[in-house]
Amino acid sequence: MEKAKTKSAAVFAGIGHYFGDFGRAVKDGDLFVKLSLLWMGAGYFRRKQYIKSILITIFEVLIIIYSVVFGLQYVPKFGTLGTVKREAVFNPMTMKNEFNQYDNSFMILLFSVITFVIWAAFLAIYISNVKRAYELQKMAENGEHINTFLEDVNTYRNENFHKTLLALPVAGVVLFTVVPLLILVLVAFTNYDQQHMPPGELFTWTGLTNFINLFGGGGLTITFGYAFVRVLLWTLVWAVFATFTTYIGGILLSLLINHKRVKGKKMWRTLFMVTIAVPQFVSLLLVRNFFANGGIVNTICANIGLTEFLRNAGIISTSYIPFLSSPGWAHVMIILINIWVGVPYQMLIATGALMNLPTDQIESARIDGANPTQIFRHITMPYLLFITGPALVTDFVKNINNFNVIYLLTQDVYTTTNQALANSQAKEVDLLVTWLFRLTQEYYNYKMAAVIGIMVFIVCAGFTLVAFTRMTKGNREEEYN
Amino acid sequence: MKLKVSDILRYALLAFLALIWLVPIVWLLATSFSKYTGMNTTTFFPTEWGIENYKNLLFGADSVAQFPHWFWNTMVIAVFTCVISTAFVLMVAYATSCMRFKGRKALMNISVVINLFPGVLAMIAVYFILKSFDLTNSYVGLILVYSASSGLGYLIAKGFLDTVPVSLREAAYLDGASEAMVFFKVVMPMSKPIIVYTVISSFLVPWMDFVYAKMILNSGVSSQWTVAIGLYNMLEKSLINTYFTQFCAGGVLVSIPISILFIIMQKFYVEGVTGGAVKG
Repeated sequence: MEKAKTKSAAVFAGIGHYFGDFGRAVKDGDLFVKLSLLWMGAGYFRRKQYIKSILITIFEVLIIIYSVVFGLQYVPKFGTLGTVKREAVFNPMTMKNEFNQYDNSFMILLFSVITFVIWAAFLAIYISNVKRAYELQKMAENGEHINTFLEDVNTYRNENFHKTLLALPVAGVVLFTVVPLLILVLVAFTNYDQQHMPPGELFTWTGLTNFINLFGGGGLTITFGYAFVRVLLWTLVWAVFATFTTYIGGILLSLLINHKRVKGKKMWRTLFMVTIAVPQFVSLLLVRNFFANGGIVNTICANIGLTEFLRNAGIISTSYIPFLSSPGWAHVMIILINIWVGVPYQMLIATGALMNLPTDQIESARIDGANPTQIFRHITMPYLLFITGPALVTDFVKNINNFNVIYLLTQDVYTTTNQALANSQAKEVDLLVTWLFRLTQEYYNYKMAAVIGIMVFIVCAGFTLVAFTRMTKGNREEEYN
Repeated sequence: MKLKVSDILRYALLAFLALIWLVPIVWLLATSFSKYTGMNTTTFFPTEWGIENYKNLLFGADSVAQFPHWFWNTMVIAVFTCVISTAFVLMVAYATSCMRFKGRKALMNISVVINLFPGVLAMIAVYFILKSFDLTNSYVGLILVYSASSGLGYLIAKGFLDTVPVSLREAAYLDGASEAMVFFKVVMPMSKPIIVYTVISSFLVPWMDFVYAKMILNSGVSSQWTVAIGLYNMLEKSLINTYFTQFCAGGVLVSIPISILFIIMQKFYVEGVTGGAVKG
């Protein structure tokens, strides 16, 4: 706690400094520093950095042009997300139906968010620009050397090289991850669904309505809360099982293969790796047909009399074993198939860890008279857990978002018979992410999909926070360093 | 070394497990060499063997199966994705591992938080963004989707770069090398394993992904698809009885190059992952 407090204090102090420096620059700066509040190139111009001055001025002008010509078409409508619905009007001049000047709610949302991001970036550059102008003024007063343009460019290969390196990747992440996420987070607070699809219709802000509906607000979505709880529970059960079965299985398998009396380690390892080298959409689609209602496994089971046995025992009521098409069976099968997919990965990682065992510790333990079991229990196992433990947390989060396995195994095959779930377009085997995906792709229910997405984030973030605070508490790094 | 009972048990267990792991793969191979077109549900091994499926797939393209086209499309997308992603990942890894600057920690924390959002969520909006810029049904759009955010996956590479001794870089600085020179001439030549790993893993993305591809290349013209959506489409309810064995043949054909790359890559994967974990 103490540590967390000082950390957040440091963050606020940092923010305070950031704006404090800016205020000081404005207050104590000379005419040109103050002028650069309006004309960004002023400070550089005064210090004879003409090229820099011109470049930053061009940048400023471009931003202004963008804002006026493009941004301001959308941003003022951000509050309402548009008011003019599309209507076809008959134009007697061209003898055709023409659309009026209508608002497209989604475009307003999208371009407003993009404009906000651009403005935020601009603001950051603007503030640092004023600070820089003030710095230059001080440097000039102290008679220090002021960089020429070439020298400035050179810093981007030296102390500012990180800016050169990070510019494009960060821009990519902002455009293709941050902006999309922002938009969908905002959609959670609107009524964007099949009845409100742009361009034909408008959608608008509805505050927390969707969140209230999710938790059983009644009305149309009476089953939605139920479906959410069901799907959430299965998601968690799945994530726990998928993570631990593959983790433990992987460690056991690697111990088995790497046992000192086993020959042909490489061959065994390769045999297991073949399954992960085949792309998942091939292997999982194949397995899905392998276990289909009329598939090969069912034929074999019928031939050996297993199907009949199960039917007589009252376990199944169909003429086949519904491996992937009825609730309980499908859940178990999915976890089993995931073991098949996931264990080889974990085996690889555990093998890597086993190869780096602290040999000196083992040696000294042996000299002290420890037997192999003791060595395994007190050195090998703790070491393995220490190395691979942190990965468990990320694996858990990955499994909560494990779209591929569930989608490939159940899409188009599994149909739910539970009316309450079907009303909310969910299935018993859905994870939150596959449900979210179906809601958008087949039912255009973007608002609820966005709410579910936020819920997934909350679950993952909560879990990660708890796991990592627990993990750093013991400070286990000491033990092996 | 004398064989003990425990050894025999151990080998028996391994053999049994290996058998389970390989059954579906063997079935894939066997089915791909059968003479049927649909799914054979009566026997595990086909009763009639043949290579018609491969012949049809490679030379007899029809409106559904355009395997040579798909292979080429995926290859082009993969090459561009690979170049951009590798560059991005290495750049971010170097900046966060070897350089110290204001906001470095903050940037890394933000990337952790972003990774906690479900990727599917971003994907849905990415589709709309590409559509409003008219980039759907274009390879440029797909390449951007695969590679633009790749910087977020820098952690393994950073873990590796953390192991490059600081003294080497310091020696270079003393010799008057610029940061950029250190990056290209000192650190990169020492990072061959992680470069190979990044190159292969980003090259594989377009071969493995079907969700993004299905979303973005949605025009329904099969010759424009990638291998993943093409093969996925063969298992549509109306097509599966005619194309199942061709699907298997296609699966074998893509799996061969991928397996080879994968086996090369796994060595570096283990090094990167465990190496990164030790340093925390």
